[in-house]
Amino acid sequence: MDKSNTIIDIGNISKVYEMGGEPVYAIRDISLEIKKNEYLAIMGPSGSGKSTLMNILGCLDTPTTGRYFFKGNDINDMTDNDLAEIRNREIGFVFQTFNLLPRSSALKNVELPLIYSGMKKSERDEIARNTLIDVGLADRISHKPNELSGGQRQRVAVARALVTSPSIILADEPTGNLDSKTGVEIMHLFYELWKKGNTIILVTHEEEIALHANRIIRLRDGLVERDEINHHQRIE
Amino acid sequence: MNIGESVILAFDSIRVNKLRAFLTLLSIAIGVFAIVGAGTLVSSLEGMITQQLADVGETSFWIQRMPKIQRMGEGRSRRKPITYTQYKQFKRLMTSTDWISAYSFTQGMTVKNGNLSTDQDVNLIGCEEYFFIINGTNIVEGRPFTEDDITSNRNVAIIGNDVITKIFPNQNPLGKYLTVGSQSYEIIGVLEAKGATFGQSQDNKIVIPLTKFLTYHANEFEQSLDISIKAYKKELLSSTIDDAYGAMRVARNIKPGEENTFDLDTNDTITDQFSGFMTFISVFGFFSGFIALIAAGIGITNIMLVSVKERTREIGIRKAVGAKKRWIMNQFFIETITICQVGGLFGILLGLAGAGILSSAVGLKIVFPITWVVFSIVICTILGLVAGVYPAMKAANLDPIEALRYE
Ligand SMILES: Nc1ncnc2c1ncn2[C@@H]1O[C@H](COP(=O)(O)OP(=O)(O)OP(=O)(O)O)[C@@H](O)[C@H]1O
Ligand SMILES: [Mg+2]
Repeated sequence: MDKSNTIIDIGNISKVYEMGGEPVYAIRDISLEIKKNEYLAIMGPSGSGKSTLMNILGCLDTPTTGRYFFKGNDINDMTDNDLAEIRNREIGFVFQTFNLLPRSSALKNVELPLIYSGMKKSERDEIARNTLIDVGLADRISHKPNELSGGQRQRVAVARALVTSPSIILADEPTGNLDSKTGVEIMHLFYELWKKGNTIILVTHEEEIALHANRIIRLRDGLVERDEINHHQRIE
Repeated sequence: MNIGESVILAFDSIRVNKLRAFLTLLSIAIGVFAIVGAGTLVSSLEGMITQQLADVGETSFWIQRMPKIQRMGEGRSRRKPITYTQYKQFKRLMTSTDWISAYSFTQGMTVKNGNLSTDQDVNLIGCEEYFFIINGTNIVEGRPFTEDDITSNRNVAIIGNDVITKIFPNQNPLGKYLTVGSQSYEIIGVLEAKGATFGQSQDNKIVIPLTKFLTYHANEFEQSLDISIKAYKKELLSSTIDDAYGAMRVARNIKPGEENTFDLDTNDTITDQFSGFMTFISVFGFFSGFIALIAAGIGITNIMLVSVKERTREIGIRKAVGAKKRWIMNQFFIETITICQVGGLFGILLGLAGAGILSSAVGLKIVFPITWVVFSIVICTILGLVAGVYPAMKAANLDPIEALRYE
């Protein structure tokens, strides 16, 4: 099987928490392969393990058991600093709660990953600016998060995820905190990115949103219930 | 990420947590204040003493009943006063130099010129003709005492500026007369103005011949004479000192093998005694400063730990977008050091200002204590490093997911 297009390859991944001496499986025995330019939606009821899976895929969290190859490299062999580097260069993570630095401007927030990749000030300033323009925030560059609407904050978060040109964008309920109109705007942004060749994984519990993807995975109780191609992909 | 970035962050967090930062800065400032304040004081005092001793010259030395700076527990009463008779004999026995003058003084005298009178605060000094040479006292107008003035016991006086201002305003006092108690004196000279030391004017005095002083103005209680002596040349200083010891032992009738019942101070011994005193101030300032800084260090560690806790999410965000441990560590280190140095800077300014106010109050010339200032900055940096280690490690080792989940 040709693996050259594979970005993420996980096998029998489980995440177990001890709760009062009892093991609780957040996810159990999940195997997945995600290829370049896939647009994947992960669905499932609350508590089914969506966020847990995303955090593991995003190298923010490590599985209790199972193997994880990112672009052919074994995550289990990596140090904290190696993982930080992968998060910095390869992964753009969009959080449900935005997770912006509250006291920093939109520009500073978007610049942050570039600071840690060691880019020069002048260079990263320009790239961050352009990325903010790309997500439609040209006139909000020096605003602080509390001076922005929810949709604008999510755009800043998306811009921050995009700014390093990562191999893959992971978004955990990016529209969860937005009204439907703003949600549509953000989805449009993702659609454009996907069309440009980006790989996107999106967590949602709304069918409407999931229909934007070309592959939908449904989780239940930490297990993959269904994994199917979406033949009715919505085009914005 | 570079240092500039972290320094900006540090000032950011100072701005955001004003009260907390203020208290930290204050505790560091107090510590540094103690160090720099003591340093400035010591440097300034040293400057003053060096200056005064230089004025006097290095070949002068002094004999008195008790040491100039007395150590604790040395009884004054056990030594009998140095009498005029003993002094006369001493002077006769001293062959190596003629520059010898006993002197004595009384404080709180009133000096009059007709209706004009000084306050009851003039320092009256009795001495002989060589007193001025030995002690480096310059006479700017008129003349010093002559041998004749002393042997004939003339009613002549040499006066300081303050006395002129008070009782001879806008006049040339030379040749005029003033009265002290029952005696009237002709003014033959004016002392060079010295200004104030330790808030005390050095110019509020008059000098008269020793025997006049002893006859009319001396304190009735056992007044002991002090003797000042000057060797002719530096090479002769030690033999002159030996001579003085011998002559004084004879004059005081001290039997061989008995201890001296007088004290002899040279420039060196005075410097030694003062440097002991200076060391005490330095050590005291240093230690109280050091203890304040240790307290400040503990305070800073605490504050930084609170800061780490408060900014757990921020740290989570930074780690999530790829900050390595080292970056997070550096950020908190630089922040701690910046706070320490800003505090130190305040402390230095406070210390300089404090010492400046104190010094000008007592009439000291300020010497900028450069070594102490540099030392304080170094100490503050080290303090920042030490106080920052634990919080920085704690921040760097946070788990990104847990940190992001922190409320
Ligand atoms: N730190 C933790 N300690 C203990 N249990 C946890 C922890 N994190 C997650 N879990 C458990 O793992 C399961 C999956 O959680 P997860 O957050 O992945 O669900 P989710 O699908 O994202 O839910 P939602 O749609 O509500 O966000 C839940 O049952 C949760 O209680
Ligand atoms: Mg979730």
